[in-house]
Amino acid sequence: MGEEKILVVEDDKQIKKFIRYALEKEGYIYSGADNAQDALEILVTEDIQLILLDLGLPDFDGMEVLEKVREWADIPVIIISSRDQDEDKVKALDQGADDYLTKPFSIIELLARIRVAIRHINKLSTDNLKPIFTIGNLKLDVENHNFYREGERLHLTPMEFKLLEILFKNAGKVLTTQNIIRQIWGPGYGNDTQALRTLMAGLRRKVEENAAKPQYIITEIGIGYRLRDE
Amino acid sequence: MIKNLFLKKDNLIINVLLIAIIMFFASLIGYLFRFLGFPETNIVIVYLLAVQIIAWLFHGLLYGITGSLIATFTFNFFFTDPYYTFTVNDPSYIITFIIMTIIAVITSMLTSHARQSAFSAKEKEAETRALYELTNDVTEAKGVDQIASLSIKAISVFFDCQAAILYFDSNHTELNYVQYVNVEHQTRRKVDDIEKLAERLKNLQTLYIEGKDFFDFPIRGQERTLGAIRLPKHISINKDQNKLKLLLSMIESTALAMDRFNYFEQRFKDREEATQERYRSTLLRSISHDLRTPLASIIGTAEMLKSMTDKEDDRFTFLENIYERSNWLHALVENILHLTKIQEGKLNIKKQPEAVEEVIGSAINRVVNMKENRLIKVNIPEQILFVPMDAKLIEQVIFNLLMNAIKHTSVKKEITVSVEVNDTYALFIIMDQGEGISPDDLPYIFQMFYTVNTNKGIDDKGIGLGLSICQTIVEAHGGVIEARNRIDCRGALFVFKLPLEVNEDG
Repeated sequence: MGEEKILVVEDDKQIKKFIRYALEKEGYIYSGADNAQDALEILVTEDIQLILLDLGLPDFDGMEVLEKVREWADIPVIIISSRDQDEDKVKALDQGADDYLTKPFSIIELLARIRVAIRHINKLSTDNLKPIFTIGNLKLDVENHNFYREGERLHLTPMEFKLLEILFKNAGKVLTTQNIIRQIWGPGYGNDTQALRTLMAGLRRKVEENAAKPQYIITEIGIGYRLRDE
Repeated sequence: MIKNLFLKKDNLIINVLLIAIIMFFASLIGYLFRFLGFPETNIVIVYLLAVQIIAWLFHGLLYGITGSLIATFTFNFFFTDPYYTFTVNDPSYIITFIIMTIIAVITSMLTSHARQSAFSAKEKEAETRALYELTNDVTEAKGVDQIASLSIKAISVFFDCQAAILYFDSNHTELNYVQYVNVEHQTRRKVDDIEKLAERLKNLQTLYIEGKDFFDFPIRGQERTLGAIRLPKHISINKDQNKLKLLLSMIESTALAMDRFNYFEQRFKDREEATQERYRSTLLRSISHDLRTPLASIIGTAEMLKSMTDKEDDRFTFLENIYERSNWLHALVENILHLTKIQEGKLNIKKQPEAVEEVIGSAINRVVNMKENRLIKVNIPEQILFVPMDAKLIEQVIFNLLMNAIKHTSVKKEITVSVEVNDTYALFIIMDQGEGISPDDLPYIFQMFYTVNTNKGIDDKGIGLGLSICQTIVEAHGGVIEARNRIDCRGALFVFKLPLEVNEDG
């Protein structure tokens, strides 16, 4: 694993302690901040590759930190919060957070999400060179518009292909329903999620063995979808 | 005006007697004057004075005119030659009689008019005072009941009758009836058949409704009818415009007072509710935050330590205990918070069409993440099926039912989730091949904190909230949930149905 430097913004010392331990054990470099002010200072002075951000900070709301970060940087941000309302999650994700974990969380889960986020930055730089994605038994050839499951070429409608491409490009990340709708139908489409669900149902019948027990396209109820990539 | 000419009929005889007495005294004084040798003009003046007194004492023009004529004739009878006859020797007396009569009539008319004005001014003043006092009193009233009571008291006293009031309490749920008996006493009762009366009051569009023995005057508030004032019919209020106007003004000020009081009470209640709501959500938020944060660090640390410890090490088992127990605690906290929120009705169900396969898929995914190697079969319609629901909550129901099934079945046994639809609802069935539900437990399993006595000991004991939460959620959707044992094989079966129609109130 890499030497990425990860900033943990969290006011609970014990949580920070075991996250630090887990991160360092995985070979990441740890940097910690107790509050928003410190976090923003560290961000300008140190070379941070990923941020773990608690929303309930003593000085500012974590959302403000997220907004500030997004003004000038693409650094992946994973929210770790005890707020478990869907609205909070959707808001954070729509504001540019890469992922959202609710406390208490499993450290294994957290490490998995970190890996996904980091892989995502690495992939972005090589994206244009490699327009073929592979996850499990699935292969998506963006350039030639081909989709394979277990080596067998399956026909996708143009919409289904577009949807799958979006999912593949963001593999491992949660995409909010609104985000996907915007990408497929454009920003003026509105709030109707039923079209997306119908499209998704069609896609799942081609991608999954059993649409009700999906292996790849996971529904995050109330939030959106995630393509599982490990 | 005709009826005002005389006062009441039974007073007529007394009045005639009084007039006779006055005339008698006038004549007596006349004799005295003649005895003293005063000129006759003085006697005429005395008679004119008597007529003035009559006109002043008795209400009505006719008394004045009658008095004038009687005075002239009496003067003629007693004091002009020839005495004790209605004839006269000196024709110049005729002129005296005519002028005397005219003066008497004119002055009595003036007096009568002055008296009339004084009387109506007094009446006006009484009306104004009654209205002013009522308005003043109801302003300081401390409740709708008191306003009602003051109002009928004022009306009853003014109209000299026993008025009654029918009015709603400030919640607009109870209807009260208060009848005025006397200044000290009023009778009060609740009206039971509220709906019919409320309907009748609502339809009171006219100024008043004439009943068999009474008039009902609606008390109209800004938004709705607040009640009615009931006056006995003998007051015949509808015949006197001034009195009617006064009554309407009194009712108006009653309505204003009630409206204002209701408004303040509503505002007070709203504020109270908002405060409580704020307290509750602050409490819930701080509980969930203050419990989740330490739990996060306990669970995380235990997980961390576990991963650092060799599985053969005794310490691994202890760590596993900590890990599992803290997870159990976390589940308890979440469940209690969840249930509180739903039961408070604050978690308003936001129904929208959701794809059944996604909801089931998500629930299974969560189960599989926690307990691997369980065989869960899914049996749903091939066609995508949309059912109106709050997806997050229904997912929780399916998750709870699946976890429940897993707890009561051995690893090898199959668990099935299936969905069936008909025209009006969708049926969700979750069944297992476990030991089934004992008939002793069956009636209670949806009760809060009810746990089935398994022989597995405390370790596997549930919290007793999972199924209560399911029931609360399903019922909030307008659905039904049931538990029974399978007929085809051993095992338990849970079925819940959700209506396909989106109700406006659902």
